[in-house]
Amino acid sequence: MILGRLQRVGTGLLTLTLLLAGCGSDAGNQPLEVGGGVPVGAVLALTGNANVYGQDQKIGLELALQHRNGGGGINGHPLKLALEDSGSDEPGANAAFTLQINRGVLALVGPTLSQQAFSADPIAQRRGVPVVAPSNTATGIPEIGFFISRVSAQSSVIAPLAIAQALKIQPGLKRAAVFYAQDDAYSTAETTIFQKALKERGLDPVTVQRTQLNDQDFQNQISAALRETPDLIVLSLQAVDGGNLIRQLRELGYRGLIVAGNGMNTPNIYPICQKYCDGLLIAQAYSPELDTPANAAFLKAFKAAKGGAIPPQLTAQAYTALQVIGEALVRLDKRQPLAGANLAAARKQLMQEILAGTYATPLGEIRFTPEGEVIQSQFFVAQVRMDPGGRSGRFALLK
Amino acid sequence: MDAALLEQMLLGALLALSVFLPLRCGQLSLATPGFYAVGGYVAALLSTDVPAFAGSGATSPLAALLAEMVLGGSLAGLIALAIGGPVLRLRGIYLAIATIALVEILRVLNLNLPFTGGAMGIFGIPQPFEHAGGYVLFTLGLLAVACWLCQRLEAVRLGRAMAAIRDDELAAASVGIDTPRTKLIAFVASAVLAGVTGALAAHFFNSWNARAGSFDASITTLAFVVFGGSRFWPGPVLGGLVLTALPELLRPVGDLRLILFGAVILLGPLFFPQGLVTAERLRGLAALLGRVRQAPQAP
Repeated sequence: MILGRLQRVGTGLLTLTLLLAGCGSDAGNQPLEVGGGVPVGAVLALTGNANVYGQDQKIGLELALQHRNGGGGINGHPLKLALEDSGSDEPGANAAFTLQINRGVLALVGPTLSQQAFSADPIAQRRGVPVVAPSNTATGIPEIGFFISRVSAQSSVIAPLAIAQALKIQPGLKRAAVFYAQDDAYSTAETTIFQKALKERGLDPVTVQRTQLNDQDFQNQISAALRETPDLIVLSLQAVDGGNLIRQLRELGYRGLIVAGNGMNTPNIYPICQKYCDGLLIAQAYSPELDTPANAAFLKAFKAAKGGAIPPQLTAQAYTALQVIGEALVRLDKRQPLAGANLAAARKQLMQEILAGTYATPLGEIRFTPEGEVIQSQFFVAQVRMDPGGRSGRFALLK
Repeated sequence: MDAALLEQMLLGALLALSVFLPLRCGQLSLATPGFYAVGGYVAALLSTDVPAFAGSGATSPLAALLAEMVLGGSLAGLIALAIGGPVLRLRGIYLAIATIALVEILRVLNLNLPFTGGAMGIFGIPQPFEHAGGYVLFTLGLLAVACWLCQRLEAVRLGRAMAAIRDDELAAASVGIDTPRTKLIAFVASAVLAGVTGALAAHFFNSWNARAGSFDASITTLAFVVFGGSRFWPGPVLGGLVLTALPELLRPVGDLRLILFGAVILLGPLFFPQGLVTAERLRGLAALLGRVRQAPQAP
């Protein structure tokens, strides 16, 4: 008796799910509604272990949105930004991408991590929605497809610059030690580039230490590395684990130079490694000291919003990503009004427009290859200078 | 509701059933995500490296997916068979710890083997279905088969032996039940189901890496069963569906969503210590449905 009923309840459950499945919507063929604003979406890691990046990026998007809408929006229609949290994992990014695409956004900014991009970008590519990635630095992101582009230069371009700078500061460097998080896509990709750059300069790493993304205690790896008496340490780690590792390195007595990769390129490391952050070398795709009108406007807006602080690279790149979409939308709308246009067609034209343009951004002048890879003219190397109290500091540009 | 979210829910339900199978036999195994990752890697490697499975590179034939599911499930099952003997000598919390270690070993292997793509994993996995809707129908079929098999367990000797071991292993052994063998069958069945699910999920998620099988995932899948109920199969299925969907459905509340999600996980076991689905509640629901069906007969 009970079994029979159980079976019936089970069948009912399945039928219900089946019914719900039928309700999946596809916004691709609707006409575009711009009355409430021109819809654009963003998917950032606001929670999970990458949340410190997402928070930096969120500010950049907000400032770019203000700037665009303060300057007339998209030819009179305001730009409307919908922001969703991706968490720091792939299923979260996939779900947020799908949600935004179903909402009918014209383009997407995101996701924060390269690992998420490999999972979520193919969804946008299949559904024909332009993606401008603000912070994916792994190799192979624009190659996912026509609709995928990025404003973040890949680490193979930037990372070697910091090694060159370290050798400039201390030409006699002989013994390099390398650390990376073996379970993190960004870290493993970047460390390959660092190690190659080291070898090219005759600095074969004396030791390569592997850590885990969620590690907090690095005493084993640090002790093993310090036994090799390195005079240069190269880190490919994210902000939280990297900050903790630097702190422990210094506490255990290492006094030499430290080069860090893009993962630690955020002022959010200050509260983690505090006074020990001092002297850290980082190659950057953005410098607050770049003297252009676009950067001056961005700096002014950031200072107004954050009370005098200096913007990090992630914020500048996120600002740039939305600026690129905004400017491409303005040009597209002038040629062919967006109001009432077919959404799928408008998305495709927008992607062509994004790739065709040249943009004066806080990062300097940028444009794109036909594949969607960013072409950026200037890169920088900065050294962290902490305030005497060790609570805050700045990235000082090195010439 | 969106088809992609529904697909994630159905995958959650399948994983919950995989945790449920050993529990039905009284064994708390947290190894499900490890086998899930193994199944996913099998599908990811075959469909990106072997031309017969890869199809055009963007779309792959359905037969290839079925073959990957069989191979992924078999490999997971073989691993479970090989390690099940010694591991299942442990009980309760010790078994749980051993299975956590297994998940961790598989994760580190997946990160360091020369062909699994390291932390970046494997990406560009071809799609057997054009839309998420195709995945949903296919996974619904798979879930229906899994549910039907679980339902059959209630009636056959193996299922009753499992229940007997759950209630009292010593008593079960003393009436002639081969307890090590029964426990091993449950463990292997759980691994096969997780492996098959992984093979399907790798295609759906486009990319596959070692994070699919982490300790966090072990806890999440266990929560499905604790929340839904561990006595009858509808419990884990409901838990898997609800707990996968909840973080997404709570998006309108903004920053509070993960706090609310945590509160639900906390309050569920507090107010429903046996899980949401129990025999009494199911009987009550069935009686209610019966009454509703008869009601329209009135003049």
